Amino acid sequence: MATLQPSIEELTPAPAPGTADYEVSLVSLNQWQLAWRRFRKHRMAMIGTGLFFAIILISFVGPFIVPYDPLSISTPIKGCGSGCPPSFAPGNFHPFGTTGGLQRDIFALVINGGRLSLLIGVGASMISAVIGAVVGGVAGYFGSWWDGILMRICDVLLSLPLLFVILVVANFIGQGKGDWYTVLLVFALLGWAGLARLVRSVFLSLRGETFVDAARAVGVPSRRIIFKHILPNAISPIIVATTLSIAAVIVGEAFVSYLGFGVNPLTPTWGNVLSNAQNYLSQGNWWWAFFPGLFIVVTVLAVNFMGDGLRDALDPRSRL
Amino acid sequence: MIKYAIRRTLLAIPVLFGISLVTFWILQLAPGGPEARFAQNTRVTPEQIAEFRARWGLDQPIPVQYCRWLGFCNPEVSGTVLGVFPSPLALIGPNAPWPNFLPTAISGADNGVFHGDLGFSIQNGQPVTDVIGERIGPTIILAGTAWILWLICAFLLGVLAAVKRYSVFDTGFTIATYIGYAMPTFLLGLLLIFLFTQPPLKLFPVGGMWDVRTIPSFGTDAYWQMLAQQPLKVLGDLAQHLVLPVITLMVVNVAGDSRFIRASMLDALDQDFIKTAKAKGVSDRGVTYHHALRNALLPAITNIGLEIPFLFAGAIVTETIFSWPGMGRLSIEATRNFDYPILMGVLVVTAIITVGANILADIAYAVVDPRVKYD
Repeated sequence: MATLQPSIEELTPAPAPGTADYEVSLVSLNQWQLAWRRFRKHRMAMIGTGLFFAIILISFVGPFIVPYDPLSISTPIKGCGSGCPPSFAPGNFHPFGTTGGLQRDIFALVINGGRLSLLIGVGASMISAVIGAVVGGVAGYFGSWWDGILMRICDVLLSLPLLFVILVVANFIGQGKGDWYTVLLVFALLGWAGLARLVRSVFLSLRGETFVDAARAVGVPSRRIIFKHILPNAISPIIVATTLSIAAVIVGEAFVSYLGFGVNPLTPTWGNVLSNAQNYLSQGNWWWAFFPGLFIVVTVLAVNFMGDGLRDALDPRSRL
Repeated sequence: MIKYAIRRTLLAIPVLFGISLVTFWILQLAPGGPEARFAQNTRVTPEQIAEFRARWGLDQPIPVQYCRWLGFCNPEVSGTVLGVFPSPLALIGPNAPWPNFLPTAISGADNGVFHGDLGFSIQNGQPVTDVIGERIGPTIILAGTAWILWLICAFLLGVLAAVKRYSVFDTGFTIATYIGYAMPTFLLGLLLIFLFTQPPLKLFPVGGMWDVRTIPSFGTDAYWQMLAQQPLKVLGDLAQHLVLPVITLMVVNVAGDSRFIRASMLDALDQDFIKTAKAKGVSDRGVTYHHALRNALLPAITNIGLEIPFLFAGAIVTETIFSWPGMGRLSIEATRNFDYPILMGVLVVTAIITVGANILADIAYAVVDPRVKYD
């Protein structure tokens, strides 16, 4: 039986193959696909992303491939006896050279340190993104005294020199010999205030929109309105802020560990390796400080490029 | 306008209270404490430690200690409510009917933050205000010099890059700012020490604020006398010690700020009134430096005000690397020694500066931009 209503194909004549109309009607992209298309065109962002994942790969797979254990002492070169140089320059079997004194392989130290530095950076950023989104959402959606209390807490956190507070807290909890997850949690629990403000502002502007009223009118519970109806609108600023915060946390961790208040100095992280290198810099073995430093700078650069690219790509108004 | 300034200041009071409350609690949870220095001493009996704690009020519940530290409570009155909270009687100062927190001349009380008393250092028993007073001068010299120089650099670079958009200079500028922005301060400091204080290029001293062999300690009478007699020698020495830490503090901030100024300058150059001015025949130079620059400065002012507190946080690591005797190094030493009266003092001073800078930035914005209307 023929349907009464004409089908779409009958109503719209098929465009001739090869014309512009034909292609437009074929390609329909959702907003994520559009964002990805814009992101791909952002050359620096693509390079940054590639570098970042390369560093992650090296840090997580590398330790299984590199023959040196970062904490063991490599066998001294035979025959030099007491005349051994204080540390070996890059070359030979040590691509980044060795440390002075115990002759540890710096490449092994750097990639093993990278694993913890990256874990702390990514982990702390994600946890504080979740806390910030929930706090900002609750404050912005419910308003009144919820908003008052939560935003005053944010004000307090934002008015303190955050890195210094992190340093003090990390020192009290870890006594300078903290585990990596203690440092991660300290960064996560103290670093969410900026994002909470951002999410709150999105909620404040959308709270009065018709679609929220409609959802409330048909009895959707508040929790569902917050997380399913409004929060998706804040997803792009959250992604951008979280990405950029990875860089900030990596530098922050290096800073705290460098000053001797972070992860146990015997565990390699980029900050710890640098901190150890500092005392021996006057002996001229630049490679000890240079390579962990280089990895920090390259990672931060890569993450910043990635964040900039995401900001442009996720902005629906941008024409890239 | 004045109404807005007053309201903004009043709103800052609960924030400052919150900060002091949070930091006080964090530090109370900390290990160590004033009596920790007796732990290794076998001749100090537990009774003596208890007596010590009672004398300094350390046996009181934390809310009572906090209240006394703030200066709301009279330390001579020791009753509590529910065993935790200070009794209302403690709120009355020595001069009976007046509350304790009023100035000393009225209430007769002289304890707590409200009377300018931040307690004593655990390490050496000096008043915290004296210790901070000693250290704040060097920090202001270092941070102030860096701040002025970095603003000048950031403005020049940012405006130039915006005016010569897409030129070789602009591309080089963008690359340099990205790298400068990604460079942690401590790494840059190490690099500078390695490059400029070691034998092949021994241009600057490794650290410190004055040459200990030829110049007396900063802040002493002998120092001021020498400054009066041989100003060139003393100031030249100071400048030499300033170069590396100032560069360290500048690079990251110049990178961040100049990018910001470039962006706001580009925004301003894109406005319709610029086209109007050009159409009316104003010269390129006039349009750029008179019409566009003034509008580009507006967002920059807020940004600059918000950065003042970071001078102190950024100074922590710079001062540590270059052994600069300022607040930053003081706070690191205090953290290491669990000297929490000093930490409290540093945090309170920094928080007041931060909150004050935020208010000033908001007010300055409203003053500079006539379009902004508050309340």
